[in-house]
Amino acid sequence: MTAPATTDSEYDEIPAAPDEGGRAPASRYGVLALAIMLVVGLLLGYAGGLLTPRLTRPGDASVEAGFARDMTSHHAQAVEMSLIAYRSATLPEVRQIAVDIATGQQGEIGAMQTWLREWGLSPTGSKPPMSWMSDGATVKDGLMPGMATPQQMTALRNAQGIEVDRQFLTLMYAHHLGGIHMIDAALGATDNAEVVRVANTMKATQQTELNNLRQLQAQAKG
Amino acid sequence: MSISTPGGPERRPTVVSTGKKPAAGRPASGAKAGSGKPTGSPRAGGKGPRKPVTPVKVSQGRAWGPIALFVAVGVLAAGIIGYGAWASFQGSKPWDKRANAIDGIVNIRKTDKASLEYESHKSGPLTYKYSPPVGGVHNAAWQNCMGDVYDAPIASEHAVHSLEHGAVWITYRPDLPKDQVDKLASKVRGVEKMMMSPYEGLDKPISLQAWGYQLKLDNADDSRIDEFIKDLRVNASVEGPTALCNTGITATGTTPRELQQQQPTQ
Repeated sequence: MTAPATTDSEYDEIPAAPDEGGRAPASRYGVLALAIMLVVGLLLGYAGGLLTPRLTRPGDASVEAGFARDMTSHHAQAVEMSLIAYRSATLPEVRQIAVDIATGQQGEIGAMQTWLREWGLSPTGSKPPMSWMSDGATVKDGLMPGMATPQQMTALRNAQGIEVDRQFLTLMYAHHLGGIHMIDAALGATDNAEVVRVANTMKATQQTELNNLRQLQAQAKG
Repeated sequence: MSISTPGGPERRPTVVSTGKKPAAGRPASGAKAGSGKPTGSPRAGGKGPRKPVTPVKVSQGRAWGPIALFVAVGVLAAGIIGYGAWASFQGSKPWDKRANAIDGIVNIRKTDKASLEYESHKSGPLTYKYSPPVGGVHNAAWQNCMGDVYDAPIASEHAVHSLEHGAVWITYRPDLPKDQVDKLASKVRGVEKMMMSPYEGLDKPISLQAWGYQLKLDNADDSRIDEFIKDLRVNASVEGPTALCNTGITATGTTPRELQQQQPTQ
């Protein structure tokens, strides 16, 4: 539609160009071109604005999605361990840090699950866990770095007295080390501001907790 | 205040530059270009198809330039809009639509919504309309669903509570060959919001449950298993993605247990 219109005005302009009268069609052409450019520009801008968030948000196989899914699984086990310790540990300090870890990480799970929903992605990926990490940590029985085996979880559940504290502290220490390893991998591979922000918070929290866990380990040795 | 002031001058140049374009054909702008670059020849080289417009007869070339530009821009715009529409249609297909598209799935949320409704937790043995059950009234305690692989049948009264929290429960007939059981277990172990147990009296070798959904299968190699898990794990949760799967019952046995009174701590 626009193309023929432009052609017409072109032809009008050419013979008239040398004369005074040439100015009128020329400016008409200019106005028309400007109007078309404006409309097309607005349309492009509108479409761009509409699509940019959709096209730039993390996809199903992205590092961000992989991190959100796998860190959710990783956190979920930390929450499980911590709630066992909160219920059954002996040292009040151990129970205190346990409930802190449990509620903190459960909250982070909520944030990560919200990302996935906002990105239009399923909480379950199409690829095996940890495939977003470049060093390709092999996952055996669904266990990511630092995660406890089902046998270790059963032992923790069945432990009595100070033994709960000791096992929890050992397991959680390894768990945090593995978690920080995963966080570092994500930080090295994403520039998504929100993911970077949350990952940095997680890392700082877990590093502080590592020191506190180590201190409590000395205490629990008795 | 201080923000708007630097903004002004920054904006102005762009306004000036757009003003230049319509003026390009006029002598004034020609003079400007000439002042910038002393010789006459840069005129032609400087602004490709636009400048040669001078008094000469090159009218045809001048006409096609803008046309091609507008067509190109138009096609690009249409392409972007079209792709966006297509992508958003594909990508935003919600999980329940995808689940419904699984061949053979039974959507009890649609076909028998009433069977999923309940008023409150109930203790003791409960009866269920579907076997294995897919929802409805259940015990106050849930079965631990942190990727637990149970080697003996579990109580449906607890399992249904796990479904309510977004778990996918894989059940299999006790006579399912071990390699098939192992294949199923590999999809469960270490994955929260997943659990698995043998189930007596199944009419098919394998049955998958999520709250309000069921899919019965003959073979652990069936690709619909992964599709069911991808679409419904966590998504089917009645209580959102943070409903717990830990601190549940970890024991097997089909008789529901009652929550123990908290023991005084050691």
